[in-house]
Amino acid sequence: MSPVRALTPDGYVTTADGRPAGKPDVRIMTWFFPLWYGLFGIIICLLARVTPPPRPDVSTADKVAFFSQNGLTIQLGFVVLLVLLGGAAMTNGLVAYQMKRMSTGSVLAYGYLAGMSVGALPGFLLVGVCFLTATLRPDRDPELIGLLYDLGMLSYNASLGCFTAAYLVLAIAVLYDRNNIFPKWFAYISVWQIVTEVIASQMVVFYSGPFAWNGSISFWVAVVVFSVWLGALIVILRNAAAAEPADEPDMD
Amino acid sequence: MQILERVQDLPNAGNIKAQWVCLWSGPAVGLVLLIAAAAFPGFWPPMSPTLPAEEVARFYAEHTAWIRFGQVTFNLCGILVVPFFMVIVVQMKRMRGQSHVFAYCYLTAVVSGATFFALSNVFFLVAAFRPDRSPDLIQLLNDLAWIVFIAPIGMLLSQFVLLALAVRFDNGPDPVFPPWVGWYSLATGVAIVPSAAAAVFQTGPLAWDGLLSFWVRNGALAAFVVVMFFVLRRAVLRQAIADGVVAG
Repeated sequence: MSPVRALTPDGYVTTADGRPAGKPDVRIMTWFFPLWYGLFGIIICLLARVTPPPRPDVSTADKVAFFSQNGLTIQLGFVVLLVLLGGAAMTNGLVAYQMKRMSTGSVLAYGYLAGMSVGALPGFLLVGVCFLTATLRPDRDPELIGLLYDLGMLSYNASLGCFTAAYLVLAIAVLYDRNNIFPKWFAYISVWQIVTEVIASQMVVFYSGPFAWNGSISFWVAVVVFSVWLGALIVILRNAAAAEPADEPDMD
Repeated sequence: MQILERVQDLPNAGNIKAQWVCLWSGPAVGLVLLIAAAAFPGFWPPMSPTLPAEEVARFYAEHTAWIRFGQVTFNLCGILVVPFFMVIVVQMKRMRGQSHVFAYCYLTAVVSGATFFALSNVFFLVAAFRPDRSPDLIQLLNDLAWIVFIAPIGMLLSQFVLLALAVRFDNGPDPVFPPWVGWYSLATGVAIVPSAAAAVFQTGPLAWDGLLSFWVRNGALAAFVVVMFFVLRRAVLRQAIADGVVAG
């Protein structure tokens, strides 16, 4: 296979001997999935400066300084993210599509779709809007800049329920599924995602220490679990797409 | 549309009737939203991001009633446009040469996009709720309202891309939408992309009151709904004939 083709959807979802496998449209979305998360990771870590998160235990003056020092990259990162945000819907729609193929049918797939659709607002949008509003007028009353800092970070790090609901229906679907669309062990990783969301609830109480929004348990354990979950999902989605018969009819 | 007597109670007829109602909800809701937009003082002309805090506060104090009317109507009726987009989802699911993956991704994007729109109404309304609040707070709420209203175009962009992909893949002898709809959808997506920069620029065409971010963006979205009304009307009618629900 030529190196160029390996970068295309047809080269990404293949049979063992390198031929395109599954359905072409599912191949495109499956190829898009790691691409989007890669871009998303670069934006939130390197440009927007929300991961790893700035500290909760800083003075208002420090928060103002954070926005003035990182203003340009925050603006660049979040404007690009506002354009690309729909990628979240596309990747979540792909997972819902694969869940619909499970023997559990539509109900849990629709639950996943609903939880993740609503989660985009508290999980991504609000922090972007808060940080962009803070950088729009750096001369605003410092107390208001501080408010936007807290509002953005708490909504981004401690938005729990939408994702908990989605992980729960995903875990149930994978465990009950008899079509073996996803491997069973992935359900248990999804349960660990729920555990991290429950622990993250402590972010609304602590200003510092392991349970703060930048803490070793609330944040870093969650990052590790999320990375494992996402990495597994990338491989699993690719395998599921490759194993799907090209002529499999859609469930209604 | 005259549904044939003998199929009135069959599921096919119910499906067509529901789509027809949702289709016609588009122009009805669109008219209400146009009235709300015409009544909202903040759009004529769109409020400048360069207004000082005191003037923003005075604007809310002087136009409180019409701001409330405009934004309550947006809040009450804005999400009523979602059933119209559900007709697009249903028609995407009828397209050949593809699974339903584009349709479900599209559905996810419509729902997320709707939540963003709803949030902007809340910020406008809270600012108008107590216009005697400190001007800095009114300006903050106004900034949040405008940025949420104009800038987060990602969910819309992905809808236009997904629709274009779905139309491109629809390889049947009798495609659900004509091929130009895909290109038109992409063009609308391109037209709205610059408005993401409204969260950064306070002057010029990219500011939230600017030519690109306000007029081109909102004009392209309104035009898309109008064009899709006729595209969907044709598609649903053809489905009705193919399903034997109306006389061909």
